[in-house]
Amino acid sequence: MNTPINQVCSTSQDPHLIEANNLKRWYTRGSETVKALDGVSLIVPPGQLISILGPSGSGKTTLINLLSCLDAPDDGELKFAGRDVRGMGEEALTEIRRGRLGFVFQKFHLLPSLSVRENVELPLLFLGRAPDQNFTDEVLGLVDLRDRAEHLPRELSGGQMQRVAIARALITRPPLLIADEPTGNLDRVNGEAVFNLFRRLVREQGKTVIITTHNLALGYLADRVITLEDGRILREETGRH
Amino acid sequence: MSFFRLALRNLWHRPLRTALTVVGVGLAVAVAVSLIGFNLGYRESINVSIDKLGFQVMLMAKGCPYEAATMMLKGGTGLLYLPGTTFSAVKADPELAAITPIFVGVAQKEGSGIREDSGSSFAIVSGIDRSSFLAMKPWMTFSDRPGYQGGRWFADESSDEVVMGFEAAEYEQRKVGDRLYLSITPQGQTEPVSHEFKVVGILERTGTQDDGTVFMSLPLARRIFNRPDELTIVGVKLREFSGVALREFEKRWAALPEVQVVSLQQVKTTLVSLVETAQAMIGAVAAVAIIVAIIGVINTILMSVGERTGEIGIMKAIGAARGDIFQLIWLETLLICVSGGVLGCAGAVLGSRGVEEALRRLIDVGTRGSIVSITVEVLAGALVGAAVVGVFAGLYPAWRASSLRPVEAIREGE
Repeated sequence: MNTPINQVCSTSQDPHLIEANNLKRWYTRGSETVKALDGVSLIVPPGQLISILGPSGSGKTTLINLLSCLDAPDDGELKFAGRDVRGMGEEALTEIRRGRLGFVFQKFHLLPSLSVRENVELPLLFLGRAPDQNFTDEVLGLVDLRDRAEHLPRELSGGQMQRVAIARALITRPPLLIADEPTGNLDRVNGEAVFNLFRRLVREQGKTVIITTHNLALGYLADRVITLEDGRILREETGRH
Repeated sequence: MSFFRLALRNLWHRPLRTALTVVGVGLAVAVAVSLIGFNLGYRESINVSIDKLGFQVMLMAKGCPYEAATMMLKGGTGLLYLPGTTFSAVKADPELAAITPIFVGVAQKEGSGIREDSGSSFAIVSGIDRSSFLAMKPWMTFSDRPGYQGGRWFADESSDEVVMGFEAAEYEQRKVGDRLYLSITPQGQTEPVSHEFKVVGILERTGTQDDGTVFMSLPLARRIFNRPDELTIVGVKLREFSGVALREFEKRWAALPEVQVVSLQQVKTTLVSLVETAQAMIGAVAAVAIIVAIIGVINTILMSVGERTGEIGIMKAIGAARGDIFQLIWLETLLICVSGGVLGCAGAVLGSRGVEEALRRLIDVGTRGSIVSITVEVLAGALVGAAVVGVFAGLYPAWRASSLRPVEAIREGE
């Protein structure tokens, strides 16, 4: 099937992609209990670009891990695509996020032994789906890397690697993209290019994108800006785009 | 992209480590295959060699039966002799189907060979009664290769005609019609006497001790060794060959003071049990090699999992389930072991001749035939064995990798 990317990557039919209510997550460090997240409530509707800002240790990554079902909260309510994920084991969480969520990491995390095309198509292997060559080309075209499809990650620049990671996140046609510090390892120009790509995905394809960032200038270009401090939401604002 | 291809790519990404692990498994498999091949080949070789002696029972002078048996199977020194009357007495036994007298002597080939290294070697000389001997070994025929055509048996009354076994002729580079020079020290003398013989026939290869023997008439052999009324062996075939018949026969003739009755079945058992001791030692070495290889594989895969913790976390984050990671790591282990198995099998096949030479130097195998037999079944078994090892060796690393929690794995990998 060769369906254009802007048609298949439609928004979810659920009114809210994620509903989080009073989320808590704590870690034990020796005899001390550290509250990484202390009662965060948040609703993520479809079709928004949301920035999560905050200093190191404010709980950004913990929150994003919970929202992406990579981790489970110790307390509070979390619904992903309408399903309550409280008490779910790792396998159940994997099932929840498979195909519904694309993840982009700060350090790209491409498999060094695979070509750009193979890295992009890797999530399909885990979904048991055969790659659609045309769709892969389309996604690579979207991130402007079609001519680099057969290259290995070590032959790419940082900005190019991050764009491969975004293409990998898009290959399963998920309604939601979560990116943890996606511009953290990039220079200003590449950082802006990646951010603009996220904005295009929201505007043109109706996707929802949640990113964490230290870069306030970029972060405030989002539709919604959530600032965390000490595991709590300090403020929530509309972006300045 | 498939899990198989992904596993291959991962292994290929660390070529040196993968290659070293594969070689480790390959060595263990090669040792195991060679050992099993030796076990099979040796038993087969002993069976063939003994069956091709033609007789079921030997009467020989009292002494070490193993030494006597190996002397018959591959030649040797330190011969003991029976009085010729033994043959006449036993010939009258009513249970006999066939009987043949054999005289075996050792001649020096000093100055007789064309080869430079023949100066220090010996030749096994067999004096036989042609008709009764051939009745026991009807398969003995003359070779018709170039230079060997026109072979015939020596005349019974001849004083200089000999027939050479295939290897003896090849080693001495003799053809039919050539002369053969042997130095023989007759009984009671200290100095060897040179004899010149005419080669009248060269036998086709049999794969037994006969290939390395020089045959002549019994009276001639007795005369040149100055043992006019002695024999080395009396070969016997019984009408009915069973444990009971053999015991009865033994009872009748073991009473003779200088005679021992040796069943070739006993010889087989003795030879096999002697070599089994060496086999047990080699088996222990092979077992250690296999255990070391398994530990090596587990260690390699665990190291790989450790290095790829972050990568595994990422794969989980982008949708890999526990089963997917388990399958991937397990496949990598399996691929290493099966590749090692293929390499080991190839090594064992290519190196089997070397293994055979090494074993012959290490232990007295007591037979001339090929003693390493690496069959398709052995190779298939080795490959299956390597795969089974891979299946089990991969379980723990695969379980460990699949149990990693994505968040922690990604954090650890950074």
